[in-house]
Amino acid sequence: MTVGLPHLLTLSAMLFGIGLYGALSRKNAVHVMMSLELMANAVNLNLVAFSRFVTPEAMTGQFFAVFSMVVSAAEIGLGLGLVLAIYRRKRSVELDAMQELKG
Amino acid sequence: MSMGYVLLIPLLPALAFAVLAPMPRTVRTRLVPLAVGAVLGSLALSVAAFLAVWPGGHVGEPTWQGAVTIAHVGDRALSLGLALEPVSAIMLLVVAVVGAAVQVYSLGYMHREERIGWYYAALSLFTAAMLALVLSDNFLGLFMAWEVMGLCSYLLIGFWHEQEAPRLASIKAFLTTKVGDLGFMLALAVVYAEVGAFDFATVLHHDWSAGTATLVALLMLFGAMGKSAQFPLHVWLPDAMAGPTPASALIHAATMVAAGVFLVVRALPIFEASGVALTITLWVGLVTALLAGLLAMVQHDIKKVLAYSTISQLGFMFIALGAGGSTAALYHLVTHAYFKSLLFLGAGVIIHAAHTQDMREMGGLAKKLPVTSLAFASGSLALAGIVPFSGFWSKDEILTVLLHEHQYAAFGIALLAAFITAFYVARLWFRVFTAPTQQVGLHEGHRSMLAPMAVLAAITAVVGFFGPTLGEFLGHEIPWPALGTAAISTAAAVAGIAFGWWVYGRTTSVVNTQAIKQRFPHAYGVLTNKYYFDLTYGYFVVGGYTALARGLATFDGSIVDGVVNGAARLWRSLASVGWLFDGRVIDGAVNGAASAVRAAGARMRTLQTGSVRGYQTLVAGAVVLLVIWILVKGA
Repeated sequence: MTVGLPHLLTLSAMLFGIGLYGALSRKNAVHVMMSLELMANAVNLNLVAFSRFVTPEAMTGQFFAVFSMVVSAAEIGLGLGLVLAIYRRKRSVELDAMQELKG
Repeated sequence: MSMGYVLLIPLLPALAFAVLAPMPRTVRTRLVPLAVGAVLGSLALSVAAFLAVWPGGHVGEPTWQGAVTIAHVGDRALSLGLALEPVSAIMLLVVAVVGAAVQVYSLGYMHREERIGWYYAALSLFTAAMLALVLSDNFLGLFMAWEVMGLCSYLLIGFWHEQEAPRLASIKAFLTTKVGDLGFMLALAVVYAEVGAFDFATVLHHDWSAGTATLVALLMLFGAMGKSAQFPLHVWLPDAMAGPTPASALIHAATMVAAGVFLVVRALPIFEASGVALTITLWVGLVTALLAGLLAMVQHDIKKVLAYSTISQLGFMFIALGAGGSTAALYHLVTHAYFKSLLFLGAGVIIHAAHTQDMREMGGLAKKLPVTSLAFASGSLALAGIVPFSGFWSKDEILTVLLHEHQYAAFGIALLAAFITAFYVARLWFRVFTAPTQQVGLHEGHRSMLAPMAVLAAITAVVGFFGPTLGEFLGHEIPWPALGTAAISTAAAVAGIAFGWWVYGRTTSVVNTQAIKQRFPHAYGVLTNKYYFDLTYGYFVVGGYTALARGLATFDGSIVDGVVNGAARLWRSLASVGWLFDGRVIDGAVNGAASAVRAAGARMRTLQTGSVRGYQTLVAGAVVLLVIWILVKGA
């Protein structure tokens, strides 16, 4: 059997679902960020898949995926920095402990 | 040769004033030499200007003329100009010499004065104005300089304004001369309406009708009477003696008071066109010369004697003018300026030495103040009219003019006035210089005070011999006095002096005037009360003014204040309505908007839970809803 567009989209949807579940269910901020990364990679997979199967001549989707990966790498660096800073203050990375911005 | 430097003659002292006036007191004091330098510069330039005109100049043909247009009235240009011709050249010399003498003299006289800088500033402004007045080629410029001089006179009379008398005297002088100035101003208005120009050439060559000429001449005469202190506007001059003595010498003896005479000299063709005005001028002069002379006989204040003597001598000039002798008047003006300023400067030294102005407390000053008494003698003999001192020649010229015009009554009165003049001069001299000494520690004046006096005394002694030259220069013959006239006038003068000696000089004790007072109580009372002029003016003019002022004050208090306060009250009620509107409507709108925003904010803040997972759920829910919406609607 050859791997076609539907397989890749299915895999991507599964990855996204796992990520969404993790983001909503985990209490640990690091876990949440890992889940977010999963969702981002699901989107990247979509981009690459559509690029490969819908417009194979143009490399648009693949370039976009690379661009997106660079952005999410930067984003995760920033996010982890924030988490570290919070950890230093509170000795905890539990999301439920962060209620200071309540209006 | 360019004559532009004539412009500098009045400009130099004016600049000195402009530099000194805005300075603080200490700087002004240090800048005093600048003012003296400016007036000495003016003197040098005046001599140069005089030599450029003399000999060869002709009256009415300016050697140099410069004008500037200051305004356009309708289609007529209004210009101010200076012109240098024989009359102005002679006056320049008089004003500059006396002005310089007084400024140098003041260095000694005023050196202890704290506000000497201001004194010099006012003196410089005055000199500038007088120089501009004599140079002016039109009536408007003359009037402007005339007014500036009035201001300077006011400032200098009131120089010691922390004392009561000088302050009152300065106000009196200013207001009295202002009454006269009103006449001059009206005369200018009539001149402009009639001729449409102010320059001497046009106005004087105008074809005057007798009526208009009389009107203009009488109005001008009124102005001149105020400035030259002629009856009945003479009352300010004796009081003006409250000012510093050198200022009195310059302003209230030699120059400013002569400005009235100078005006009439300039405008004499109008007076001649009128005829009536000439006669009135003659009689104003006669009455003034006689009455002021009589007043000078009973004054005890040495400066007041000289002040009344000035009024009387100015009267002589008006007599000459009234007889049509403008040259004789100008001649007497020149000689009088020199010898009267000399007498005032001498009086200054005497006052410094004796520390009093009351002649009854003086005596024996001839031995203690030899230089001053010599100079004073020169001035006194000139005033009395003794040959060869200057006053003799010019007074004789006036008497000659009167005889020539067949004014025999006037001649008699003038002769009587000359006799009285000699009498009060003798009285002053014998009381101050030869009477028994009553004081100790008398000392001669400083060199800077004696030097100007020596110069003036020398001029007084010799200037009379230049009468014919002066007459030739001015285009009118001034002959050597006829022997008959000279004999009569000398007889009158000698008789006056002899009588003065008989009353005041022959005893070796201090004269007690009580006996004279008791023998002629009424006459003495009239004279010491100055013919009740001050009382009359005080009662009618000042009293009337006070009543008028009181009435106006009532009007002001009830009606004007009522209107003003009513307007204020109305405005205040309008304002309170405005305040209500402001408080309710405008503040309401502003506060309402603010509280609405605050209420909305209170609702919205509940959305901000602070729980990260709450936000995540919200976003996820929103995404799900978005996806469902896209699926249902179709992309």
